[in-house]
Amino acid sequence: MRYPEPKFDSFAATIASAKATRRQFIKGVIASGAAVSSAAYLAGCSGGSGGGGVLERTLTLSVNGMQRTVDVLPNETLAMTLRYKLNLTGTKLGCDRGECGACTVLVDDVASYSCSMLTHAVRGRAITTIEGLEQPDGTLHPVQQAMIDELGPQCGFCTPGQVMSAVALLKVNANPTRDQVRHALSGNLCRCGAYDNYLNSVMRVSQMAQGA
Amino acid sequence: MSKDMMPAFELYQPDSVDGAIELLAEAGEVGWALAGGNDSLDWFKDRVKRPQTVVDLSGLTELRGVRELPDGGIEIGALTTLTEVENHPLIRERYGVLATAASRVASPQIRNVGTLGGNLCQDTRCWYYRYGVDCYRAGGNSCYADSPQGQNREHCLFGASRCVAVSPSDTAPALVVLDARMVVRNAGGEREVPAGDFFIGPDIDIERMTILEPGDLLTAVRIPADWAGTRFYFEKVADRNTWDFALVSIAAAMVVNGETIERIRIAAGGVQCVPRRLDVVEGLVTGQPKSEATATLAGQAAIRGATTLNFNHFKVPLLDNLVKRAIRDA
Amino acid sequence: MDLIGKNFTPPDVRAKVTGSAKYSEDFRPEGMVFCKLLTSPMPHARVVSVDDSEALAMPGVLGILRASEVPPSPAPQDPILTDEPLYVGDPILAVAAVDEATAAEALEKIHVEYEPLDFTVDPLESLYPGGKNARTDGNVGNAGRIEDVKWTAQDFLSVPEGQLPFGRATSEWSYGDVDAALAAADLVLDETFVTQGISHNSMEPRSCMAYWQNGKCYLHTSSQSGSFPIPTTARYIGIPQEDLVFIAEFCGGGFGSKGGAYPIQAVPALLSKKLNNRPVMLRITRHEEFFIGSARHGFQGRIRMGFRQDGKLTAADLFIVQEHGPYAGFNDYQSAGEAVSIVYTPTTMRFRGIPVMTNTPLRGPQRGPGQNQIAMAIEPLLDKAARQLGVDPLEIRRINAPDSNWRYGGQQGGLTSAYLRDALDKGAAAFNYAARAARNGERTGSKVRAVGVGQAYHSAGFRGLDGLVVITPEGKLNIHTGVGNLGTYSHTSTARVAAEVLKMTWENCEVVRGDSSRHLPWNMGQFGSNTSFTMTRSNWAAAEDARHKLLEIAAMDLGGDVSEFEIGGERVFKRENPEQFLTYAQAARRAIELGGKYDAHEVAQELNPLTKTSAAGVAGTGLVGVAQDRLGGNATVPALAAGFIEIELDVETGKYEILDYMGVADCGTVMHPQGLDTQIKGGAVMGFGLAGYERHIFDPQNGLPGNINFLGAKPPSYLDVPPLMTTAAVELEDPDNPIGAKGIGEPVQGCAAAALLCAISTALGGHVFNRAPVLPDMIVNAAAGRTPSHKPLQVNTA
Repeated sequence: MRYPEPKFDSFAATIASAKATRRQFIKGVIASGAAVSSAAYLAGCSGGSGGGGVLERTLTLSVNGMQRTVDVLPNETLAMTLRYKLNLTGTKLGCDRGECGACTVLVDDVASYSCSMLTHAVRGRAITTIEGLEQPDGTLHPVQQAMIDELGPQCGFCTPGQVMSAVALLKVNANPTRDQVRHALSGNLCRCGAYDNYLNSVMRVSQMAQGA
Repeated sequence: MSKDMMPAFELYQPDSVDGAIELLAEAGEVGWALAGGNDSLDWFKDRVKRPQTVVDLSGLTELRGVRELPDGGIEIGALTTLTEVENHPLIRERYGVLATAASRVASPQIRNVGTLGGNLCQDTRCWYYRYGVDCYRAGGNSCYADSPQGQNREHCLFGASRCVAVSPSDTAPALVVLDARMVVRNAGGEREVPAGDFFIGPDIDIERMTILEPGDLLTAVRIPADWAGTRFYFEKVADRNTWDFALVSIAAAMVVNGETIERIRIAAGGVQCVPRRLDVVEGLVTGQPKSEATATLAGQAAIRGATTLNFNHFKVPLLDNLVKRAIRDA
Repeated sequence: MDLIGKNFTPPDVRAKVTGSAKYSEDFRPEGMVFCKLLTSPMPHARVVSVDDSEALAMPGVLGILRASEVPPSPAPQDPILTDEPLYVGDPILAVAAVDEATAAEALEKIHVEYEPLDFTVDPLESLYPGGKNARTDGNVGNAGRIEDVKWTAQDFLSVPEGQLPFGRATSEWSYGDVDAALAAADLVLDETFVTQGISHNSMEPRSCMAYWQNGKCYLHTSSQSGSFPIPTTARYIGIPQEDLVFIAEFCGGGFGSKGGAYPIQAVPALLSKKLNNRPVMLRITRHEEFFIGSARHGFQGRIRMGFRQDGKLTAADLFIVQEHGPYAGFNDYQSAGEAVSIVYTPTTMRFRGIPVMTNTPLRGPQRGPGQNQIAMAIEPLLDKAARQLGVDPLEIRRINAPDSNWRYGGQQGGLTSAYLRDALDKGAAAFNYAARAARNGERTGSKVRAVGVGQAYHSAGFRGLDGLVVITPEGKLNIHTGVGNLGTYSHTSTARVAAEVLKMTWENCEVVRGDSSRHLPWNMGQFGSNTSFTMTRSNWAAAEDARHKLLEIAAMDLGGDVSEFEIGGERVFKRENPEQFLTYAQAARRAIELGGKYDAHEVAQELNPLTKTSAAGVAGTGLVGVAQDRLGGNATVPALAAGFIEIELDVETGKYEILDYMGVADCGTVMHPQGLDTQIKGGAVMGFGLAGYERHIFDPQNGLPGNINFLGAKPPSYLDVPPLMTTAAVELEDPDNPIGAKGIGEPVQGCAAAALLCAISTALGGHVFNRAPVLPDMIVNAAAGRTPSHKPLQVNTA
């Protein structure tokens, strides 16, 4: 049995007069044993899926010092391009909404959420990912080595993002205080709660710079 | 229910402001101006907002940067990043309230890419609206938040008009107290809109947060010299100290002569759909000593007329206290 | 000991810092396709019809998987897919396509008709006469039985609003005469409390990828555990466990939500089967992780506590209504009862509880499930009692702390060891508690200083699991472990026990883990704080088995009795004449020649079938030590922890700064000092989140979830926790473990959460919220003398 289209205008009037609640509306639907589509229960935004016929465009991206040619859709994020087209899976998707930092990369040496930028918007910039830090001979970046020595990571999922944020900081401030590190990394969540250890790791590098 | 993966759209990357405006004007209701992307891409990924035409502004380098104006003020390009606003020597030196406000937005990575214009034009954060329900703001016919058991902890104290969402921007109250003017350009030319008129509430248009219409582009923010170098106060109270939007925020600029408050501007965020200029408080404290007593009175004046919802009663004492602190501690 | 108690560089940490560690969403086999879930938009509904014709006609769409096509799960177990979704986000079907964008488009072209059904997000509402049930078959259940339970109107009317009625319980135990003890007590507190449920919020959503090859299913999944989930995951897929290759080398956090198998693991496997064995990737989004990733149970509870003048708890009458979610859930409420009995040693106690279903994301164990909620509820009440009795808050905890000979709960079970008082004393001294507490209430402007003490417990060990080690013909020791990689490095710290027993240099050892095709023994899962106790015992047993075999082979070859030989320097030699020796390498080659039990061609009968299969896999490759832990014992192994915190709270804004925190663990011998340190601190961070930020919000009018993302969930950031914390351990050995170790992962969260709530209360002059979490808006209201916005017994609310 098809449920008749809800009369929203009259419903709005009843909301305003506080004579009925949304809950009562839903209960009425339930009581009638009727079927509704998800649209009637919870209408999404109107409109279709937008213009069709969109194609991938070939771009040349500068990633970790190399020129990489890749086909990229207009609606593709940098994180997806890195992970699925360039097979650089070190950059992680923790939330894909700019709310956790696991996808942090450097764009022209600036820490950025790769999930929250369109690849097309950064095609002229120098992108550095976690894979770009290790030397060809296997020597680790000081931040990476420090995180091993201080046992920074626990589960490791947020680690690449933490490393990139730390690297970005050290590029502009080679000798930060613990509080400065804390603020610089504040856009990187760690659910395991390894914040102390990450701070210890970066401070180890900071102190090395001081001693040098 | 979950939705993910942006629907397809046509992406344009103009290299001139005029080009961008032309594209936006032509696209009209199905167009979208993309600055940093922090707000926009979430809407697309949740498949709630689906523009056909996305105009990427990141190539408009002329809209980025800070320059001094002949009248002694400054002009900040709308595409200047929040990190740049936070760290710019001219802004730090003369308009510290804006630098502080910018520094409290979201997280470092968001500030690195997010723009001042984007922060000002961002959409509201009512969780029902963001979830994609068919509320008034989304073109529908009800408000879910303002309902008998609506979970409206973060919603407004003032200016409710079918919609009870709040202005989420941290920089907006700062620019209101600096008497900033927004520079808006469209195919017909350029105009300045005072900050106090730039943001609109549901009583004017329930589907927009600012006066911008399709084809309009916010190109710059101009700040006069009137409040440069004065005494500032900015405070944002949020649940967490990163990412979270303000529960209530306060921005103030004042000139204090001896013990007396000579002139003042004060505005609150998180309590109304627009940054709320507290002009009654301004009138009350002007000419008064900058004291605990004045501060207390100011707080009480600020909360007059507040209408609470199911879960936001705390915003009343919080607004009271923040106004008090602004007067007392600036 | 040479290795136990020393730090080491875990073998997997380099991969974590270089980004080469592969989590399940990182794999890209050739021909991989994608699937996405269609999840319920409603809190409870019946799927009336599904029209997928438009979706299937789309180019690039490969197929759809329906609930009718997957192995059924007997109610109330959570199903793989369902046609009667029980919460917003419950998976109904999956669609496979060549890429994710196509799959997402296809989902919108699948037209589903729903019949909305009754729903509830509040247990007490469901218990009220006429109240809605979350399920059509009832509203109360735990591990199997579903009932329809309603309390009477009289139950509700007999107490003031805001107090939990003592209605019918489905679970009850008691010892001693609680009512008499309450009547005789010097102080009685009768407190109603609420702890809100919250998602686990692991950083890695539980994406999984599967394909088939030569009749075996290869599953890349996110799992806390290495071998424990295998039988149940195989059952979800519908195959014998020998046909499942379970690959989980890295796991981006689980906190209890990925400790065992979970149904969604079957989806890519079953779709792959439908698609001619093509690899299928199910990328789980953050929102989906909120929905299907399980969550902590909420409590609506009440406790009556009777105290003696000196602070001794003489009576505890605890009632918990558990917010149960719509499926089997976990037994948090029962664990909470046990925890009260253990941590506070009430002379008499009654426990009652009832799990009431709600149409909210399914519940499951979350770090200290039940124990950490009750710690948050009770610890501030201890402070309240202390204030009223004029007893020091530290002293009231000391006087009630358990000794090793305490008997707890309805069954009066025993404990292996308990040193909570030592933890309190050690922490109080190191934290300078007395001096700091003397400054409680000190004001600087609008800021108030306060300290807090918190405690928590979790059982911390199992017995009877298996170990497997191999000494190779090259003289190396391979320690096979079914321990997962959830971030504690326990796979290696517990493996070192085997190396210790065999006196190996650590560089000559390798930990073999992460992929079941590497022949892993049957181990307990990595949950319940158990690993340090459990797996040290099983590794010990396996290493002892290998050691005996070494002695036997040496005696055989070099003549003499087994008792004349010993091991050292990776040799087995005659004690009286060390020149007579075999190297481990030589002994291993001899073991292969001898066959039989020496190289695992024969194994002990009592081993788990999974271990036997793995032993057969390594048979003939070296000298094999494979044994079940039969060290015995049956008392509960208690992990206990105490936390000390100092905060400065601003009464004008409701915000506080945590100035300092110290966590102290009673975990027996410390195997891995760096590892323990990270657990105590990590647990504290998670505890601050549990007490200060995180809770579910649902709109009761429509069942919509209010915080499905990190922004709404609010796990703590760097700026919400102190920049530097300290840790310590009591280091008194547990007698039931060969190296004296107990587990520790969970109570270190609960004690921090509890300490924070106590400090907030003290800062507000003793105001008790009877609720967790406590957020800035609640603090602002309390400081301003206003009533809270929510009703006292509401759950899932802002």
